[in-house]
Amino acid sequence: MLISCNRLKNYIKDSQKIDWFSIWDKFSIRTAEVEGVTVKGKDIDGVVVAEIVECEKVPDSKKLHKLLVDNGKEKLQIICGAPNVRIGLKAPLVNVGGHVCGLKITSRKLAGLESFGMMCSAEELGFAENCEGILELPDDYIVGKDIKEYLPLEDIIVEIDNKSLTNRPDLWGHYGIAREIAAITSHELLPLDLVEIPNNKKDLDIRIKNPLCLRYTGLKIDNISNKQTPLDMQIFLYYTGMRSISLIVDLTNYLMLELGQPMHAFDARKVNSIEIDMAKNEDKFYTLDNIERTLNSHILMIKKNKDYFAVAGVMGGLDSEILEDTTAIILESATFDAASIRRAATYLGLRTEASARYEKSLDPNMTIIATKRFAKLLQEVDKEIEFASNITDVYPNPLKEKKIILKKETLRKYMNIDISADFIVKTLTTLGFKVKEKKDSYDITVPTYRATKDISLQADIIEEIARMYGYENIRPEPLKLELTFGELEHTQEKEYEVKRLLATKFALNEVHTYLWYKTAFLNKLGITKDNIKLLGKSEDNILRDDLCLSLMEVAQNNLKYQNKVGIFEIGTEFINGENKRVLSITLADNIKAIEYNFYKLKEIIVTIFKTFYNLNVTFKKEKSFDYYNEDLSFSINVASDRVGRINVVKSNISSSLSKKKCFLTASVDFDKYEKLTKQEYLYENVSKYPTVSLDYTIIMSKDKKYEVLEKALGDFKSKIIKNLQFIERYSGEKENKYTIRYIVGSDEATLTSDELQDFREKFINHIKKNGFSIIE
Amino acid sequence: MQDELKKLVSSALADIKGALKESELLNIKAKYLGKKSKIAELMSKLKDMSIEEKKQYGALFNKIKKDLENKISEKINEVNSKVDISFDDSLPVQASLGSLHPVTIVTKELTDILKRMGFSVVSGPEMETEYFNFEALNIPESHPARDMQDTYWLDNGKLLRTHTSPNQVHAMQKYGAPIKICAPGRCFRNEDLDASHENTFFQLEGMVIDKNVSIGNLMYTMKELLSAIFKTDVDVRVRPGFFPFVEPGVEIDCSCLICGGKGCPTCKNSGWIELCPGGMIHPNVLKESGIDPEEYTGFAFGLGITRLAMMKYKIDDIRVLNSGDLRALDKFNVE
Repeated sequence: MLISCNRLKNYIKDSQKIDWFSIWDKFSIRTAEVEGVTVKGKDIDGVVVAEIVECEKVPDSKKLHKLLVDNGKEKLQIICGAPNVRIGLKAPLVNVGGHVCGLKITSRKLAGLESFGMMCSAEELGFAENCEGILELPDDYIVGKDIKEYLPLEDIIVEIDNKSLTNRPDLWGHYGIAREIAAITSHELLPLDLVEIPNNKKDLDIRIKNPLCLRYTGLKIDNISNKQTPLDMQIFLYYTGMRSISLIVDLTNYLMLELGQPMHAFDARKVNSIEIDMAKNEDKFYTLDNIERTLNSHILMIKKNKDYFAVAGVMGGLDSEILEDTTAIILESATFDAASIRRAATYLGLRTEASARYEKSLDPNMTIIATKRFAKLLQEVDKEIEFASNITDVYPNPLKEKKIILKKETLRKYMNIDISADFIVKTLTTLGFKVKEKKDSYDITVPTYRATKDISLQADIIEEIARMYGYENIRPEPLKLELTFGELEHTQEKEYEVKRLLATKFALNEVHTYLWYKTAFLNKLGITKDNIKLLGKSEDNILRDDLCLSLMEVAQNNLKYQNKVGIFEIGTEFINGENKRVLSITLADNIKAIEYNFYKLKEIIVTIFKTFYNLNVTFKKEKSFDYYNEDLSFSINVASDRVGRINVVKSNISSSLSKKKCFLTASVDFDKYEKLTKQEYLYENVSKYPTVSLDYTIIMSKDKKYEVLEKALGDFKSKIIKNLQFIERYSGEKENKYTIRYIVGSDEATLTSDELQDFREKFINHIKKNGFSIIE
Repeated sequence: MQDELKKLVSSALADIKGALKESELLNIKAKYLGKKSKIAELMSKLKDMSIEEKKQYGALFNKIKKDLENKISEKINEVNSKVDISFDDSLPVQASLGSLHPVTIVTKELTDILKRMGFSVVSGPEMETEYFNFEALNIPESHPARDMQDTYWLDNGKLLRTHTSPNQVHAMQKYGAPIKICAPGRCFRNEDLDASHENTFFQLEGMVIDKNVSIGNLMYTMKELLSAIFKTDVDVRVRPGFFPFVEPGVEIDCSCLICGGKGCPTCKNSGWIELCPGGMIHPNVLKESGIDPEEYTGFAFGLGITRLAMMKYKIDDIRVLNSGDLRALDKFNVE
């Protein structure tokens, strides 16, 4: 929102004592964030009121006139292209040496004729756009005077962050901002000039038919003749982001900018009685911007029977707009339910200055003040107007006065310092609160412009005191809490230690992906998924039930730049409607290296569980998603508990990603993982007697897997076995050779050669009996 | 005799110097100090000498023997320590290292600092209910944040959490007061992506509740926290801010670290960076989670982890973080 300091000065006593440029830093830390402060009009000088005394067309030129202009000191020849030049017109003249639009004006030749200065338009003076002629000044301006003596071109315009005003309906107009400045600087806020309207006419016919209209105040004004908006108001409107349209419309906008109260004027020829009620579904209505809108039954309308006049709180209708020949108006000053206005504006895609304010929950008590203020301002420029009705005020449920008791003890608890009662009473009073100090508390009455939304509790009052006292003046105080142990949740630590292991020991890269599948990626792989969906989206809207798929996409993208990829993420999957935390790892490499990568992945999983829990995991074949290879899908288990899976992507699926690559994934159920209990190491006596290491190489045909041998080995029992290890595998053409190692020994004595010989014989027999050959 | 000894010693030293193997040195030892050595022979003459001479030469023999023995064993050590394998020892090596996501690194730094301040680290679900994300946080039904264009609503009636603040509610309901927690995590807002907007980003929530927690405590904690994060004394500006779940609510800005407060594009020329919303926990929020606002007060704050990570690593496009592009991401080593 843009704020004009010139305007603010009118509301504050002794405003010249305030530094209007630097006060805004303070405003930022007391009230709301200031986004920028701009100085206007300083770049304009040497512009005076001048009168055209002679005017003739320049021969051979379509547009140019040769003027003789009185600038108060001398009469100058000026060549001017504006269409509205005429003898007797007073207009601004930039003398030679003066500045407008960042340019220095010099005398120069136009169409061969010397021009000693430039007549200028409102655009060149910086308060209008697309002007067609020079600015016409009122007749009573004195020739030769500096234009700035009449026009408030110099101003400081402040931009306040709208977001920081969302809970402050009172700050959506200049008067509210002035109230804050007055409180910040300890100045006095001046009352507004209003006009009292006699209650001796008829009431207007206004009926509120739906409680979403909280208050509706109307006034009929007749005999309007002036159409000309005063120049200072035009400048104000332009500087604060609006455009001058016509006097009546400008005045409604002005009131909105001054008080924050949106107003609307209907042409009284079209509107003479009003009801406020919901629209009918599918009804059509042309708004002021000449767009046909389709209404629905949740939109509050200003209407009469089947005729719609305005979308309440959003925009007026084209049919009843103020025209050039309008002489009588019905003035609306109303309050509507904030949420319903927001819904209507959102539905219609039409957020207006008015709806933005109504959304904030405006003070219903502003409607009357705004009406009287409008009347006052109109009367000032159009003395002939007549008030053709009473102020007609329909207000079914008046806002009750809000009272809050602020306990001194509570205030102290929040502030941790004593703040003087003087300060509290003075500050709150300037902000419009009524305050009575009691022994242990303050009795506070909240002004209605603060009571609609933001203030209802002690804490709200404390905020008023704290911000005006200044957060920077509150002493930072270390927390004093009892030295008890806090609650301990492991998740973050567990996640970090695993991530760190994967990055350091296995040189994997952590990535982040989105919670939803990319539709294009699924289509490319020919995978269909059904899961929880994001509303209002037709693509990329299915939440993932397999984080590995997200990682596969990342892996695929990276294969453009590198031969192999190893990535991981700990993220959320959505399974059976629930959140599930998952660690996923994806390896992508050349298809030839599939076995190497499979064992790498197994090693990673085994290492994770061994490192952090000293637990051994087992892998069991299982069914998985249909895009994984059935023969290469395994569950990861701790004892009998399934804690994850290892999968290899089907080759027809991975070849649609990349022909010569393989994709392997592992997934650990992190919710289960983080709850596992660490198996503590227990000290074991080291045997005093030496152990012997015995290596055997066993031959098995290629169509058999190690697990066959493993089972046979498991069946061989001997009490001298301390350990059995698989060492390596040599692949031959038809057969594989497996080297295994036994560590044997006894805690009671050194093994004798007989005992060893006995072990050897029994083992070799066992192996042979199971159908393997062994290299002796 | 002395001359003879001198000669022997210098010849022995020369032999020792020239030896290359342990075996050679053992031979040298036998040659000079063995039973049949020249020195042994000379020593045998001692018995025919006067007591005076015996004393003199006895000491000398002992010294020579000891010296030579030392020299030989030193040399043995020396030749043994030389490995007789030769190779090119100048080939380069590389650190075998993957990478952590920048957000993970910054989150770890933050939680480490907060843990030092006594905060427990907790977490909560990314798919949330309306109750935890809005209702329990005093965000009314008509609040714009609840709109479709801001929140990812799901077809099961739930939503993707729009902030980490639901963790406040979870923690209060789980542990009650007093409490001191922080909760980092992913958040989601329905936004179009550009260089500074993401629909998926990270925040960290902090919350303290106890019997006499004041605004001054909030100030102290935030200032210390920010100084610890930036490892320098930062200028902090506190101004009123509005969030439905705190009252009073504040925005904590810190002086722009890029321009030092002079004004630059990063801070939108204000010299300040909006970093950390916070405030005293709204009495309604405490009440909703069963904590008596008459007895307890507390403060809460949020930190944009994604934003901090971008500041720390000078990442100028937020989209890099979720791109999975290892060309950018594998530069982030572990710590």
